[in-house]
Amino acid sequence: MASMTGTGGTGTRRAVLTWRGGLAELAILLALIVIFSILNPASFPTLTNLHTILNNAAIPIVVGVGASAVVLTGRIDLSVEGVMGAAGMTFVLLSANSRETVDIGWLAWPAALALGAGLGALTGAIHALAKVPSFIVSLGMWYVGLGIAALLFGYEMIPFLSSEAIVAWPTQSPLGLPNSFLLALVVVALGWFLEANTRLGRSAYAIGNNETVARMTGIPVTRFVIILFAFAGACSALAGIMGSLALGAGAANVGVGMLFLTLAAIVIGGTPLGGGRGGALRTVMGVLILSTLYNGLILAGVDPQVQSGVSGVVLVVAVIAAGWSQRAKLRVAK
Amino acid sequence: MALAVPEFLGGGGPSIIAQQATPILLVALGQCVVLQIGSIDLSNAATGLFACILAALTLGPLGVASPVLCLAVVTAIGVINGLILVYTQIPSFALTLGTLGVMQAASLVVTGSNVVYVMDNMAVVAWLFTVQVATLPVAFLIAVALAVVLWAFLRFTVPGQGLAAVGYNERAAALSGQPVRALKVLAFGLSGFFAGLAGLCVISIAGAASSIGLGSDLLVPSIAAALVGGTAITGGACNPLNVVFGALFVALIPVGSAAVGVDPQAQSIVYGAVLIVAVAATMSRSRHGIVK
Repeated sequence: MASMTGTGGTGTRRAVLTWRGGLAELAILLALIVIFSILNPASFPTLTNLHTILNNAAIPIVVGVGASAVVLTGRIDLSVEGVMGAAGMTFVLLSANSRETVDIGWLAWPAALALGAGLGALTGAIHALAKVPSFIVSLGMWYVGLGIAALLFGYEMIPFLSSEAIVAWPTQSPLGLPNSFLLALVVVALGWFLEANTRLGRSAYAIGNNETVARMTGIPVTRFVIILFAFAGACSALAGIMGSLALGAGAANVGVGMLFLTLAAIVIGGTPLGGGRGGALRTVMGVLILSTLYNGLILAGVDPQVQSGVSGVVLVVAVIAAGWSQRAKLRVAK
Repeated sequence: MALAVPEFLGGGGPSIIAQQATPILLVALGQCVVLQIGSIDLSNAATGLFACILAALTLGPLGVASPVLCLAVVTAIGVINGLILVYTQIPSFALTLGTLGVMQAASLVVTGSNVVYVMDNMAVVAWLFTVQVATLPVAFLIAVALAVVLWAFLRFTVPGQGLAAVGYNERAAALSGQPVRALKVLAFGLSGFFAGLAGLCVISIAGAASSIGLGSDLLVPSIAAALVGGTAITGGACNPLNVVFGALFVALIPVGSAAVGVDPQAQSIVYGAVLIVAVAATMSRSRHGIVK
């Protein structure tokens, strides 16, 4: 179990100042930037490429904030790609689009977010009330989400978003950074506030550290877990909307590859899968490291198709490194 | 189902269901051995697809040696999974999720994102589904026979009972002298081997392979088949004979849902729901205070 004197668990203010509490990740990120700048002096260290990296990082950051809130409690949400697809299709079909379904204007945002939060709450409720492992419930919900997206897609033409202003918004940067990244930072701030300053967030750390004790101290574990899954679902839904904007169209597979990326980012950021430590700010570091890594690899001529493989390897290595010190002869690991 | 749509029983219905159930059954048999020790293998369906692609690429030049090579490669991948698992002690779902990513990337890279057609020597695998015994494809009968063999292995042999012991109580199994590590590696090796057999069935049916083609969507159906067959996700309770019926049930989902008017696009909703309901219904909660 994570020691209480460790980093991150007792607050994020102190966490950024220690080696294990964020400096190591910062060092990795800087090392990657230096290495890729030397490898590709012409294309990597440019303002355009910085915008590309930050724009690419925006969607996984939004997913990661929600997913790490769930991982803090020791649970996991594998449904992100399905929820992204379902919410993205909902958003596109409720906005002005080439199929001319209903256009409810800005209300399409809360509608898609509500669908995501609903799917998340359903995952959390089945998991917490029926006492079924969260990974298997959310695996099922992944497929349910994809099915909803496919059902909405139907057999007609691809629904393209009609409003060019909305489609162009994420990549524009009136404030110096891409809007998509700024939106992601707002979500990060929300996630950080939840984790650092609310009973729900503080309880998430307590549940991850020792669930039995958390229950004994009167924390409503079941209710909080359901709320955290709903929050994660809403984050995935927002990511689905952002992905649809990036595509300019609705697609059931808008979230493809996002699960490996965010899980790997969560673990290398410093939130172990057992929970109890870490949080949203750490996950941002993890996503930035991975986004820089992919960007640099692609600029260096590596096949973009290996991305899910790189994510997979990073995930396994990060999980191994995080759990290395806890290995023991008779430890039960399933 | 036969009551709702009587014509289902005529016109080759059972043969088609058996054909669709075969790859699901084979992946599920591998999965149920891993579930037996209380772990899960999220990578085995992707590994099976990789075997399918490998077969498509090598059947032409290698002929009969190709299936042997494919099975050897995917069994080795399963064994590597098991070795990493026992030496690093990380959760199996995290490890195999990583392996899933690696296998997907490998499939994309090896095929160059294209469809790979079998150029030559298709006869090496084609007989699996062209030869029929009592209207059922011979591959299905082989898969059922393998389920019987697996059942006997789990029920009557020392390592088979060892796997159950690991699933029931790993610490007690280790303290009573069971070779826990070797048993875990065995379980994941078997998972890879059965997934490879499923991959060979897919290439036999399709004659071509691609990273998003037939066989790329076996993960949730196969886990659902194992769970519908009464395998406990907590380990220690698994009967491969029941998994046969689980696989048939899952293979009936597309036909059944179409027959009662569910949009084919909504099928994955049904798969997901079956998975959740099956695990909720079969999970043994008595031995576990906290479920994460």
